[in-house]
Amino acid sequence: MLLKVVLLLFYSSYIITEFSLSAMSGEAVFSRQSSTAGFSTKVPVEHLDYDYIEKCKDVKYLEKILRILRSGEEGIYPHLIKFCESHLEKLNPNSRALRKENPVATEASFSKDEWNQIVDDLRTWTEETKKTETLLKEESVFEDLSDVKIPPIRSSNCFVPPNKTSLPKQTRNSSKRVVPRDYQEWDKFNVEEECGKIDGSMQKIDPPAQLNSGHLNIRREVDASSLSHQEKLLLANREKDKGNEAFRANDYEEAVAYYSRSLSIFPTVNAYNNRAQAEIRLEHWHNAMTDCLQVLELEPRNKKALLRRATVYYHMGKFQMASEDLRTVLQEEPNNPAAMQLLSKIEKKMSDCPPEQQSRGKKILIEEVEEDLCYSKEEQEEQRARPVQPSQPVGGEESSAAPAERGDMGNAQKKPHSRGDGGPHTDTSNSHHGPWRGKGGTSDKYKVPEESKEKVANGSSKRGSTASAQGNKGTTGGEKAKETVNLDAPCGALPPHLSRLKNEGNLLFKNGQFADALEKYSQAIQGYTDSGMDSPEDLCLLYSNRAACYLKDGNSQDCIQDCTRALELQPFSLKPLLRRAMAYESLERYRKAYVDYKTVLQIDTSVQAAHDSVNRITRMLIEEDGAEWREKLPDIPLVPLSAQQHRREEPPSQQVLQARAEKASRDAERRAEVRFTALKQEGNDFVKKGQYQEALGKYAECLKLKPKECAIYTNRALCYLKLQRFGEAKQDCDAALELEPDNKKAFFRRALANKGLQDYLACSSDLQEVLQLDPNVQEAEKELEEVTVLLRQSLARTQDKPRKTVAITEVDGEEAVTEAPNCVSSCTGDNISINLKPSSAYEFGQSLNAARCCGNAAACAKLLASTEPELLPQYLSNQLDGHTISFIVKALDSHLLEEKPDLAYRHLDQLHTADRFRVALTMLEKDERRHVTQLFERLSAVESAEFTKDEVQNLANKYI
Amino acid sequence: MSSPLSKPQIIAHIQKSLNYTVFDSKWIPCSAKFVCLGNFARGTGVLQIYEVQHGEAQLIKEVEKAKPIKCGTFGASSLQQRHIATGDFDGNLHIWNLEALDVPVYTTKAHKEIVNSIDGVGGLGIGDGAPEIVTGSRDGTVKVWDPRQKDLPVANMEPVEGETKRDCWTVAFGHAFNDQDRCVCAGYDNGDIKLFDLRNMSLRWETNIKNGVCCVEFDRKDINMNKLVATSLEGKFHVFDTRTQHPTKGFASVSEKAHKATIWQVRHLPQNRDIFMTAGGAGNLHLWKYEYPAQRSKKDSDGADVGVAGSVSLLQNATLSTQPIASLDWSPDKQGLCVCSGFDQTVRVLIVTKLNVA
Repeated sequence: MLLKVVLLLFYSSYIITEFSLSAMSGEAVFSRQSSTAGFSTKVPVEHLDYDYIEKCKDVKYLEKILRILRSGEEGIYPHLIKFCESHLEKLNPNSRALRKENPVATEASFSKDEWNQIVDDLRTWTEETKKTETLLKEESVFEDLSDVKIPPIRSSNCFVPPNKTSLPKQTRNSSKRVVPRDYQEWDKFNVEEECGKIDGSMQKIDPPAQLNSGHLNIRREVDASSLSHQEKLLLANREKDKGNEAFRANDYEEAVAYYSRSLSIFPTVNAYNNRAQAEIRLEHWHNAMTDCLQVLELEPRNKKALLRRATVYYHMGKFQMASEDLRTVLQEEPNNPAAMQLLSKIEKKMSDCPPEQQSRGKKILIEEVEEDLCYSKEEQEEQRARPVQPSQPVGGEESSAAPAERGDMGNAQKKPHSRGDGGPHTDTSNSHHGPWRGKGGTSDKYKVPEESKEKVANGSSKRGSTASAQGNKGTTGGEKAKETVNLDAPCGALPPHLSRLKNEGNLLFKNGQFADALEKYSQAIQGYTDSGMDSPEDLCLLYSNRAACYLKDGNSQDCIQDCTRALELQPFSLKPLLRRAMAYESLERYRKAYVDYKTVLQIDTSVQAAHDSVNRITRMLIEEDGAEWREKLPDIPLVPLSAQQHRREEPPSQQVLQARAEKASRDAERRAEVRFTALKQEGNDFVKKGQYQEALGKYAECLKLKPKECAIYTNRALCYLKLQRFGEAKQDCDAALELEPDNKKAFFRRALANKGLQDYLACSSDLQEVLQLDPNVQEAEKELEEVTVLLRQSLARTQDKPRKTVAITEVDGEEAVTEAPNCVSSCTGDNISINLKPSSAYEFGQSLNAARCCGNAAACAKLLASTEPELLPQYLSNQLDGHTISFIVKALDSHLLEEKPDLAYRHLDQLHTADRFRVALTMLEKDERRHVTQLFERLSAVESAEFTKDEVQNLANKYI
Repeated sequence: MSSPLSKPQIIAHIQKSLNYTVFDSKWIPCSAKFVCLGNFARGTGVLQIYEVQHGEAQLIKEVEKAKPIKCGTFGASSLQQRHIATGDFDGNLHIWNLEALDVPVYTTKAHKEIVNSIDGVGGLGIGDGAPEIVTGSRDGTVKVWDPRQKDLPVANMEPVEGETKRDCWTVAFGHAFNDQDRCVCAGYDNGDIKLFDLRNMSLRWETNIKNGVCCVEFDRKDINMNKLVATSLEGKFHVFDTRTQHPTKGFASVSEKAHKATIWQVRHLPQNRDIFMTAGGAGNLHLWKYEYPAQRSKKDSDGADVGVAGSVSLLQNATLSTQPIASLDWSPDKQGLCVCSGFDQTVRVLIVTKLNVA
């Protein structure tokens, strides 16, 4: 100690002393130590031997030997020293005797890359810091450095005698007891305040009554309002570091406190993520969940957050949701060990519960919605199955609506489930059972409020018998046949003919024939109102189903209307709300969509699609309205408790049942999935090798597993194209487009198929479609140029030559495209295939365009004849232009007026309600206008029961 | 043992020879600059500012002061101001604005003799509460200052009349996790370590480590006291777990002897409180990691809580010079960057790699 004192005053002399000391320190110290060591324990010379050292297990003694060897007392034996060291290292790698003085590392100690990395890292840091510093300085110029926030000066000049320790010793205490009571009260207040901030939904951690934990007093919020942005970032980061440290020291409460501080200064994804992890360790699942959701709101695909949410779900018993999150993680990072581990754990847990209960469609609903594309049978099944008002006794409804065909509950377990990412899969033998099954699962599937639980339990036994009794009554002999569908299965309280309509609708919907399904549902609704029944549930379901059809058809307006009706009948039913939300969203009415999604979430917080959409819309609205976007929102209705479904409120037994059922379905699904992926891969491999025929087989099998996988259709289309089987290629493309109406590949391949079929017109329109979707596709541009030339040539040819020469039969004897037969119209005659049975706006547009391009008024008339006038405006959507109007007028005038004047009138009556009609009307040229006048003149000359002359006149006024 | 490249490495990035004896070197927060404090051979003090640029330390500013400057801290200054507080051989406490170094922002005659050590808290966003500076001097007193109050310390810890005055070699702030709680730890030449509670104005704990205490530091100033490291003259250091204080046994500790000479300094990594570097009298640096025990406290026979110390492991060491390394400072902004100065009249910028894996 003297040395140091001396140094402070006479540093120069000190340096000399120190220098000499340290110069000799090595040997001097060692010789002293070794000599004393030798003295006390007497290491004999014969112990300094390879054999002895090798056998010696006494670490302390070995260290002594090493010391002597190193000292050189008995001579220097470098190899023996090394040997001794390595032996010692084996016995005790942390031995102090092994510590060696290392020279400081320099550039030479690293590889060039490593060194460059280190240096670059430093350089970027210096540059960045310079910028930060400048920013900091600039900020400080504008900021007045008021000390308002700083606590007052400590009451000054206190005197503490450090040597007189007896007095303070008595008052010494653990840190906890130092804190006066009012301080804790203050702390409590702070916690409450924070609770309030997080909209009261999550419970805040109660400070544990743990002694010696001082973090009760750590403020969870930091007032950072007076700080500049730079400072905030720094501080938030520092608080986060503190949290990390506390976390590493297993002090999770404290970690949470520091993360909270960090978040209160500046919220970051990392801090949320870390806090979630700390909350998980503390087993505060709900808090952890909130944090995970926060992260996912900021960064929807954050792996850590997903992983942590999965952990939370796992501990909350929601294995299904947990495994979904894990799958998402594994999709992004297939080898994430934590995810794999947890997943296998979950699978084990789920398989521990043997499946005996019917599977539930709940989760599937969520995924479907997420995917937003592929509705499968569960959709309808669910719709019917779900107790619309959960508070009403479920047992009764169950039995009345029990499906006829469902004899065994086990049936359901085989039911393959659609998973959002995998797309739906149906195995044909099972698929038809879909809509009539699933009732049994309802009581578990949806959370029934506690009070009705018992009834459900009672009802379930009854249910089976009633169901079978009804089934016997209602079914026909064909029910057992594999492909037969029992269309007479009773539905709710609907009379048989309406049930039949509804079931037909369900079937059509399932098969993707949405327009037809829509018609069935409409008829059912009509029939319902005619019959004057009073069963709001059923009507609600019908509306809701029809809404689904509208949604599929892209007719958001009507979808919304139907959903609203359904909701009037049954407020707070999930499906119509969800559909309406989707419809609103597609109409870009985000505020309304937001409200609906939020309502959905109030009813059932686990609807992932709603969460995602809410996030998406929130971003959109913030972009649109800025920070006050919430103020512009309509009120979000408060969902009564009876309609809310929180999964976590389920009693454990329910969870177990649910888990079992989910497990069963998941197994089946996974098998299908695995097989599907394998087949697809094989198919793709064949394509790469050019073995298209083989690939076709694989893809066909794929489609058997999942008939709604768009990619497979486009792939198969490619194969067909390569094999010059254009007709089939076109079919596949059509199928693909039905699934994904804006799939570029499908359009492009259909264009190629059309080209192959020499249908240049359709080809060019497809290509234009491609270019509209993505203007950068050069192949499409090239093709388009080529096709335009071909189109001109073919048009010229049709004028020159008799049309007979161009036949559709070029398609190597294969059957022509399904739509094609209709289009061989006799009046104008051409080789263009016109789909005269449009089922969507797109198809209608295609057909109309095709007809218009070749001036085929007859085809147009046919098209119009087969189209419901009411649908016309919707089909035309916003594509109406002057030429179209004049063409339609021409078609009506020349063909339809004579045959079906009523229809012509109705068309005209609807046409003027189409979008852009007024604008388009102004585009008409003179003789086109004359045509219109002519048409109305002729129309008014027709005598009809449907319309009067006055009405025609009124209508004409709108046109002329 | 793990392969050498997976361990942290200590790299001497920049070496700069100086024409004066440097006592202390400190990074300026939020910058790539550091300050060197020392004295010229002619007996005057010097303050220099260097900036790390293109692998070199470039002198930006140099001022000569009347008295040799022993120690400095930024701890009580705001991030925007970044004023440095220094103690000199004459017992003066000054606060300097680095932009205008001619006249100190604050000045007071703090002690009768040399200010050996200085520490600050409440600034830089480290520690809630008022900005305060603590100084320890050979006159045996430890004083706490508030830059807003001139001439009078806000707290003064000195031996009562008649007691022998011990030379206070080191002081450190800690436990500043809210506006009121705050502790000062002081180490004396006789091996005493005293922990003063500024909130209660009482001596909270004391111990003796038998050898002069060269440096004390809390692993963090602004958390509920967690760990305290004290280094001693004969090359040992002690890590106290300050979470659990037993009524009679005090804090549990673990000690390690690593250096063959005095450990002049200990500094915790700002980004990870469980890693710290000790700088020794033989010109070497040791990088340590503290490992917590499975349970940090247990009940003794009387049912009182008693702490359980963890263990320390050596991550890396390096010999820089034959002269003692008297000061060491981690960059608060860049993990692994540190500046150290020794009595070989050299200041070095070091990079410690792979601190994350440690």
